[in-house]
Amino acid sequence: MYILVLFIPLLSAILSGLFGRKIGVKGAGILTSSCITICAVVACYVFYETVLNSSPVYLKLWGWFDSELITTYFGLQFDTLTATMLVVITSVSALVHIYSIGYMSGDPHIPRFMSYLSLFTFLMIVLVTSDNYIQLFIGWEGVGLCSYLLINFWLTRIMANKAAMKAMLINRVGDIGLVLAMFMLIREYGALEFSTLYGLCAVESPYRCIICLLLFLGAVGKSAQLGLHTWLPDAMEGPTPVSALIHAATMVTAGVFLIIRSGPLFEGSPLALTVITILGALTAFFAATVGVVQNDLKKVIAYSTCSQLGYMVMVCGLSSYSTSLFHLTNHAFFKALLFLSAGSVIHAVSDEQDMRKMGGLIKSIPLTYTMILIGSLSLMGFPYLAGFYSKDLILELAYDKYYLIFAYWLGSLSALLTAFYSSRLIYLTFITNTNSKKEIIFWAQESPWVVMVPLLVLAFGSVFVGYIGKELALSYVVAPIIPNFTKVLPLLLSLVGAGLAFIVYFTKGRARGVKKGLFDRDRGRGQYIRNIIYTFFNSAWQFNYIINHFIVNNIWKFGHLVTYRILDRGVFEVIGPRGISIILKQFTQNISNLQSGGIFNYALIMIVFTTLFVSGALIF
Amino acid sequence: MYYEYLTIGIILFILGVLGIVLNRSNLIIMLMSIELMLLAISFLFLINSVAIDNLIGQIFTIMILTVAAGESAIGLAILVAYYRIRGTIAVKSLNLLRG
Repeated sequence: MYILVLFIPLLSAILSGLFGRKIGVKGAGILTSSCITICAVVACYVFYETVLNSSPVYLKLWGWFDSELITTYFGLQFDTLTATMLVVITSVSALVHIYSIGYMSGDPHIPRFMSYLSLFTFLMIVLVTSDNYIQLFIGWEGVGLCSYLLINFWLTRIMANKAAMKAMLINRVGDIGLVLAMFMLIREYGALEFSTLYGLCAVESPYRCIICLLLFLGAVGKSAQLGLHTWLPDAMEGPTPVSALIHAATMVTAGVFLIIRSGPLFEGSPLALTVITILGALTAFFAATVGVVQNDLKKVIAYSTCSQLGYMVMVCGLSSYSTSLFHLTNHAFFKALLFLSAGSVIHAVSDEQDMRKMGGLIKSIPLTYTMILIGSLSLMGFPYLAGFYSKDLILELAYDKYYLIFAYWLGSLSALLTAFYSSRLIYLTFITNTNSKKEIIFWAQESPWVVMVPLLVLAFGSVFVGYIGKELALSYVVAPIIPNFTKVLPLLLSLVGAGLAFIVYFTKGRARGVKKGLFDRDRGRGQYIRNIIYTFFNSAWQFNYIINHFIVNNIWKFGHLVTYRILDRGVFEVIGPRGISIILKQFTQNISNLQSGGIFNYALIMIVFTTLFVSGALIF
Repeated sequence: MYYEYLTIGIILFILGVLGIVLNRSNLIIMLMSIELMLLAISFLFLINSVAIDNLIGQIFTIMILTVAAGESAIGLAILVAYYRIRGTIAVKSLNLLRG
């Protein structure tokens, strides 16, 4: 039963990947979806046994490598964390599989797509079920690889290729951190198994802080925290179900999972925890500000993912890992719902992703509107929806840690901004007057049932998961004692944000209609400054520009100039093959020039050397 | 007591050597220089055989004269063949086998 949860997605991936030609488009869809659905059922059973019946399972499968210093097994570990992650991953993945059947219909490479999706799920399950860091690393790299394959699914698009490479390479920066952390762990503790390491956590080590920071670097790359986040918005080049899978349930949560898994290690290093909190809070705030001014439907949701991941990481830094996990679970449901609904919207308006060219869709696709409304309300932390239970608790916990009150303010501001951009998304897409072409708005209609059913299920999840899960997830979390006003504040901020969005965009739409042609205020200085601010946020605080300009370009130049032209084609070639060959050629030419063809020269040489020979014989 | 004649032999030999080395024009001069060298060597052998009162030097001399006769015969034959082909016997033009 426990191995089945790993085996079924693998089987599904292999069958769909290798025999896709045989089973056909429809067969691949049905096969993989049913496989992952079965897997989700099995995961629920695992959850029941390990969490509800509180009986963790540890399986040692077989030895992997064994040296004097370190012994590693292929082992599986099913505890609360793993079981929760499993349920999230497999259920969201199953829904994404089903959704993809409808969404991707008409695409010529559906078996490949389904195979990649299943492989992604499999590797994610490998990641969460492993009982040591190395096996975790297999999954870690594997999901990176699969994200490459999936973002690059439409491989004829140059932007998709670039985005996929960017995702892979930026992830690799974090992976280096994880590898180095593993080396340090072997050096310091001599073990990579979680159970051993948890036992050894009491051992004081001067390198604990470095290990934790390196682990966190890995999480930063995978979970798109500030600095290494630039791949996440670009990864929107992939198909929408891929975005849902990568950004909602699986890949980005791997970083948070790593932090939660390494929680006992992190507990020994206050510095690392502080860094985590600060970076998480900054990410939440940064992504929220950027999300406010994005015009691409999917990018708004991508930045909101980034922001929510900031929340999760932040609360990990406050040592409340179960809250983080709880938020992860809730977030998986409502973010998958948002992404898949966005896909449905995009589908309805003939693959138009720009929100400025939408509007008025509430009449043509009311069901999708309801779904996206539920998702957005949940994301805003509207009371009694999933986001409410975890998000507000995160803010309360942040307030409780008075030494990092800064994180609380950033988090609260992001809550405000989250509400703002969620409402903006709904307003611009559904409520405002339409900006799209007549034929597009005329033909806009709901997607087929195979697309809508996963949305319905996810909507139920977004509404109820928080309430159902709160007893399980938060039973060990001591609710912080803080003023009532502070408890209510996030909700107020969310409402203010949401209201603000409606007011701003409503008046903006009105103002544009009224003021047109009256007097041209747009040339004023205020407009200029506003444009600068807008551009700054719209281009994500110019992170791409800064990174490209100051880091990537310089490394490229260094690579070309120094390592290629000066070292490889310069020094090494001169002292290496080319230099030696030139010297040898010169030397042999000189020697063979002795043989001039003149008899007299030969005679002279012969005589000289005979004389030398004779005199040498005389001397010795 | 005969050692003053050694100087003559050595000078003759060196003259022969210089004749080969410095000669750029004529193949016959080269053959003649070789003959001169052989004669100088034979002369030295003879002087030495008289000086140390040993016959081996004289035997060697006779052998060298034989060899020299054969050598000049073959050399002249090559020369004639060479002249037939090239129409010149200048040593300078004998440089086809350059390294």
